[in-house]
Amino acid sequence: MISRMPAIVVEGLAKRYGEFVALDQVSFTVDEGAFFGCFGPNGAGKSTLLKILTGQIPATSGTAEVLGLDPTRNAMEVKRRIGIVPEVESPPSYLTASEFLRFAGTLHEVQSLDGRIERWLTFFDLKGSEGTLCRDLSKGMRQKVMLAAAFIHEPKLLFLDEPFINLDPIYQRKLRDYLLDLREDGRTVFLCSHILDVAQRIVQEMVILDHGKIVLKDKVSNALVGGEDLETLFLRLVGGGNGLAP
Amino acid sequence: MLTEEYRMHVKYSSRQLFLSLPLYIFFFTALFTFGLDILTGDLRLWDLMLMAYGGIYIYGLSVGAFGVLGQTYLERRYGKDNFLISMPFLLPVSFRKVFLGMYLRDVVFYSGLMLLPAFGGVALGAALSSHSLLSVLVIFAGLLVTFLYGMSTSFLISVLFAIDRRVFLAAVAALIVLVAGYGLTGLYGMEIIIPSVGYQLNALPFPADWPLAMFYLVNCAALSVVFLALSLMLVRPTRSVLAGTHREMFLQHLRVFSRFPSRTLLAKEFVDIRRSGLTVRMIFAYIVPLVFLSFTTYYVNHGLNIPVGFNAVFYGAMVGFFGVLLYSWMTNTDLNDYYETLPVRVPQVIKVKLTAFFLLTTGVSTLFVIGISFLNDEWQLLWLALIVLYCTTAYMILATAYLTGLNTNSFFFNPTILTKFTAISLLPDLLLTILSFSLQSGAWWALAGILGVCGVLLVLSLYFYRGIERKWGGASFL
Repeated sequence: MISRMPAIVVEGLAKRYGEFVALDQVSFTVDEGAFFGCFGPNGAGKSTLLKILTGQIPATSGTAEVLGLDPTRNAMEVKRRIGIVPEVESPPSYLTASEFLRFAGTLHEVQSLDGRIERWLTFFDLKGSEGTLCRDLSKGMRQKVMLAAAFIHEPKLLFLDEPFINLDPIYQRKLRDYLLDLREDGRTVFLCSHILDVAQRIVQEMVILDHGKIVLKDKVSNALVGGEDLETLFLRLVGGGNGLAP
Repeated sequence: MLTEEYRMHVKYSSRQLFLSLPLYIFFFTALFTFGLDILTGDLRLWDLMLMAYGGIYIYGLSVGAFGVLGQTYLERRYGKDNFLISMPFLLPVSFRKVFLGMYLRDVVFYSGLMLLPAFGGVALGAALSSHSLLSVLVIFAGLLVTFLYGMSTSFLISVLFAIDRRVFLAAVAALIVLVAGYGLTGLYGMEIIIPSVGYQLNALPFPADWPLAMFYLVNCAALSVVFLALSLMLVRPTRSVLAGTHREMFLQHLRVFSRFPSRTLLAKEFVDIRRSGLTVRMIFAYIVPLVFLSFTTYYVNHGLNIPVGFNAVFYGAMVGFFGVLLYSWMTNTDLNDYYETLPVRVPQVIKVKLTAFFLLTTGVSTLFVIGISFLNDEWQLLWLALIVLYCTTAYMILATAYLTGLNTNSFFFNPTILTKFTAISLLPDLLLTILSFSLQSGAWWALAGILGVCGVLLVLSLYFYRGIERKWGGASFL
């Protein structure tokens, strides 16, 4: 069996905001080419983890490596190699979708940018709104713009925080199929999502966080036994406090 | 609304630091008043009043621009914050009531935060020195009404901006014509533009004519109420969603700036400036005050034949200060959080904003200094005024960028930063003001002193520029 290089290595990672512990001794590894899911209830620490791994905020303690680089010390180099879809869809207010794609593509030094812009505008059906400023787009359209900007430089590793949110079922399906293609292509995806039925179909390995701690770390195929689905597993592990555990 | 405003400002520093801001203003103004005679040197009472009333009026103008800000709150997230201003769309509250609430909130908030502590400080300084407490009270009443008048004027003009750009431009043009007419023709006094100035000129510490003074004060207050009522009548609860299509502008700017470093960011900056209406706001906050000061100086020198010490050199130094407000707006045009998804660092964006600022303002400020030299027949001072202009502008803007990064507006509510900014800006400004006044008598040491100060400012500008990387290198856009 060929062992793959790890794309992400996290060791004893912690993040505190004053007294509040957002992440507590989190450790896991994501192999290159894996489709990795990070799940948990609101406030579990998923977005904080994603922000640390993408060099947006530093950890309080512990170590992280993304594509062999420390994301805090080498944030720029990490950002050049990855694609990020943040938790909140926030493209620049005063650029149109195609202008933002050109902006992002130029910063990533993408060659033959016109073709790529055309491809993503078509893929996400943004051509009809080509002259509309991002601030005037609907939430779903803005989410599509953020997704297109994350894909434009065809990164080896993608960090997606709630990528399906605000998308209609057609584009949820389209995006899911594209992500499956990426998986086949050997690209690595780190996905945070609450839409568990979609996630279950694409994710291979996962962690479930609760109150900043890992409560489950496993392959999806190993974790879901006896016909249990991801939502039921999720509720069993972290839904007890809300009376939702089966 | 007051709670929102308070919490928003506390977020920028801390509760203790924010609450110490009025104390800082109190002690600073007390100290300033106590040392007024020494600090102001050759400045006469008329000059001081002109600066105080002009300054407060411009401050009121900047606070009252929420007619535009309110529209911005409606159209996009403001950081991670939502404001009550969007409530008329969700709750049974009328839009006008919310806007009136915003006006009253800002009157209470900024009077409490800035004006009352300043008044207390001036009163303390006056009690400890030879100045009359009654005069302080009289001046404070005039300044408070001037602040409200500035707020109402700005509120009305910003509402016009939000509903119809042509009407807005006509209103601004009318204001400029009014100021220019006052300066060039001398047919009417400044009290026609700011009625409270008429009050002050007829009240203590000047020889008092109380009935006339009260006429002007009541007039100014009444105009404030009329402008406010008119604003509330005209304000419309509209979102400019689907506001039409825009032709490609980014690629065009990318070509224009192809030889500049960070051309991608610079191109985007200029697209932001053009599409956000910042150029219009620039006219309002940068060009109108410059025109106002130019013509006031001209009128006082030529119309009243009072030899005021404001010359082209003094004026060159003043332009740097107006630039701070413009830079602050440039940092507040849009949210920056999407930069976190791209290979871009905070110091890069700060430096791009600085480049854009200088590209945008250098021509305008140069023209103004040339204009003021022409108006005052001071061609012999033009070369020096231009040196002072470039050095002080570079110094003030680089100091602001170094101290506040991309959150200029927010950080000015942090007393630690405000103290540093005051120290950085006040000393060279006072030096340049005093030295520029001494130029009148042809003192060679004044010329040498001004050139010396400019040299120091240039060295410090370089220090601040290099410091941006050190101070903001590890900062986040979030």
